[in-house]
Amino acid sequence: MFSLKKHVVHVVKYRVLWMVLSAILLLPGIVAMIYSSVTYPNHAPMKVGIDYTGGTILQYGLKQKITNNDLTTTRTNLEKIGVENPYLQILNVNNTQQENTKNNINSIISIRTKFIGESSDDVENITNTLNQQYESPELIQVSSVGPTMGKELFKNSLIAVGLAFLGICVYLSIRFKFDYALAALLGILHDVVFVCGVFSILGLLYNVQIDGLFITAILTVIGFSVHDTIVVFDRIRENLRYYSKKMSFGEIVDASVNQTLARSINTSLTTLITLGALYFFGGVTTKDFVLAMILGIAIGTYSSIFFCSMLVDFWNDKKQTQKSAPKETLAV
Amino acid sequence: MKNKIIMFWAIVLIVIVSTVIIFVKPTKLGLDLVGGSRLMLEAQTTDSIAKITPEVMGRLQFAIENRVNKLGVAETVVQQVGEKRLLIEIPNVTDLKEAKAFLGETAQLEFKKEGKDKDGNQIWISTGLSGQDLSRSSLSTDQTGQWVVSLEFNDAGAKKFADLTKSLVGQQMAIFFDGEIQSAPVIREAIYGGKAQISGGNSGFEYAEAERMVNLLNAGALPVPAKIVEENTVGPTLGADSIEKSKFAGIVGLGAVMLFMIAYYRLPGLIADIALIIYSLILFALFKTIPVTLTLAGIAGFILSIGMAVDANILIFERTKEELRAGRNLFTAINSGFDRAFTSIFDSNMTTIITCTILYLLGTSIVKGFALTLALGVIVSMFSAITITKNFMHLIFGTGELKYPALFGLSKDEIGKSYEATETKREKARFGILD
Repeated sequence: MFSLKKHVVHVVKYRVLWMVLSAILLLPGIVAMIYSSVTYPNHAPMKVGIDYTGGTILQYGLKQKITNNDLTTTRTNLEKIGVENPYLQILNVNNTQQENTKNNINSIISIRTKFIGESSDDVENITNTLNQQYESPELIQVSSVGPTMGKELFKNSLIAVGLAFLGICVYLSIRFKFDYALAALLGILHDVVFVCGVFSILGLLYNVQIDGLFITAILTVIGFSVHDTIVVFDRIRENLRYYSKKMSFGEIVDASVNQTLARSINTSLTTLITLGALYFFGGVTTKDFVLAMILGIAIGTYSSIFFCSMLVDFWNDKKQTQKSAPKETLAV
Repeated sequence: MKNKIIMFWAIVLIVIVSTVIIFVKPTKLGLDLVGGSRLMLEAQTTDSIAKITPEVMGRLQFAIENRVNKLGVAETVVQQVGEKRLLIEIPNVTDLKEAKAFLGETAQLEFKKEGKDKDGNQIWISTGLSGQDLSRSSLSTDQTGQWVVSLEFNDAGAKKFADLTKSLVGQQMAIFFDGEIQSAPVIREAIYGGKAQISGGNSGFEYAEAERMVNLLNAGALPVPAKIVEENTVGPTLGADSIEKSKFAGIVGLGAVMLFMIAYYRLPGLIADIALIIYSLILFALFKTIPVTLTLAGIAGFILSIGMAVDANILIFERTKEELRAGRNLFTAINSGFDRAFTSIFDSNMTTIITCTILYLLGTSIVKGFALTLALGVIVSMFSAITITKNFMHLIFGTGELKYPALFGLSKDEIGKSYEATETKREKARFGILD
């Protein structure tokens, strides 16, 4: 009758294992972020895009596929006309799934420079330079952020993340006990550090830069991660009402995690399916944004199943030992 | 049962209304999808205006709106953002550099007279007559066939101009445009009637130069200089490409999720899929009614919300399956599935709405679009995943026994072999459990 103790995953029993696994997942990213903070000129843990530093990005659609050699030539040409330190990148457009006969843009060349103001002729000069090297390049996108604007956007993003943390913490403390809220917050931190770490590594390896959309992705991941955690905690709360006399706290945590396991995995799966569709078939401009969410949601599911529930159990254990031998443990 | 049938027809009505709205109303697409420019203009303080007041911003916005209208493009937007910025949206602009220069030009027209500074050097000093005293200006030619800019003063301006010319007979008066001297004729006699001309000095005006000045003067000078601090321009080809790709990604995403739901949850999964389609219809109709301007990030928010919308159903179905395994009858299992899952659904959606609110309040316009579509999605999904699915489940399964557990993806021997939650009397009453 009572199959509550037959489990697929054991959160409580292998507590140390999950702690180690989390550490393994987070450490490389943390190392990359520290390394980046030390070596980058602006001491940011990740490569930051023009949204935060200020600058201009020009994107040209080209009919031909370009190689890294073409890019080197372009860079030299641009430096010749006085563009300081242009940063060039190729974005490949996959036209396999769609007929794109009208425009036939096969690759996009992206040029990042310092901020180009309205009185400057730099855009025209750059277009002319490209015109000499490639067949009818088309200026398809211009993004420009002034230096003061960049600082302000950065400040706003930090405020947004801070407020989201606070808002969720307040909401959770009202709906649950404070320990649960704290565990959920640590879970968020766990997920955010993981995603930032991966992007820090990607920044070092592939020059991936974070922008305003990245912060949006992080905030969405925060929402999701808490979402998952709440479902597990909600179940723990419910089971505590019915079984607190028959089972230990650890057993209840394990049971709750297992009862919600199918749900946790299925929900993440459906969300990952839609995100996967966006990643593979959606626009080039939102790729990094979607990638951040995919990573965040995957790690969010892991953390809500293993990390947060383990924390709740861990604290409960501490409380128990404190209750049974209060003076001695506190003195140590 | 009667209530459920009424509810069913209410849902049908909502679906019909939504479908009609979708067909009748146009979709508002963002500039990153149709192509166009988004510019952020920041008012700059000057020596004379040290603080940007709301009044200054009002005048700046008015002048910029006039200029944007002069560009002759439909559906432009000029909107104040924060204390000293204006957001300008111009779809399909052909010559962006030209447009940018046109918008940023201060266009200060000033009339100056000769004077001396304290060291005795000859300088031009202000007369107090400026572009603000004009009623209109137009393009014309003078006797020699040169292009000139004709000025007409308003009543106050005409009086000032008459007094000024009277006092300056025999002296030079210079006309400055944006700090540059245009011409400095010698006043022969007092000029009444409030009309004047600017000739291009010795070299004369080019046609384009004179036309530009006329346009700027008619649009009004900016009270303070303004600088472009942020720009985002998307060409129409990239926009069209993004729409195509987003559509494809949306269809693939929706399709894959629907298949997954049927494969895993069987008949309830199919019901959830129908609810999901209704969800998409309602949400789209809402986007068009409000209207929400759809951007690339907004569409990403919408597609993401599809994944979240089925979450509520997954929670409910998992719970219903558990209740069935515990040997409950169908009606009770469905009811308690919905009831027990509700707190989880509500709590988790609240946190998403909290983050969306923060994003909406603090984010840039791209982020705002994402937050808005995601928040609307979450709210609509509460209705579709709970009310619609529950209604369909009850109508289809009725109150009888579960004859075919396979419909729920369960096997016969699983039933009645799981744990059993012991409810209090109140809960039993709520879930409709009979002992």
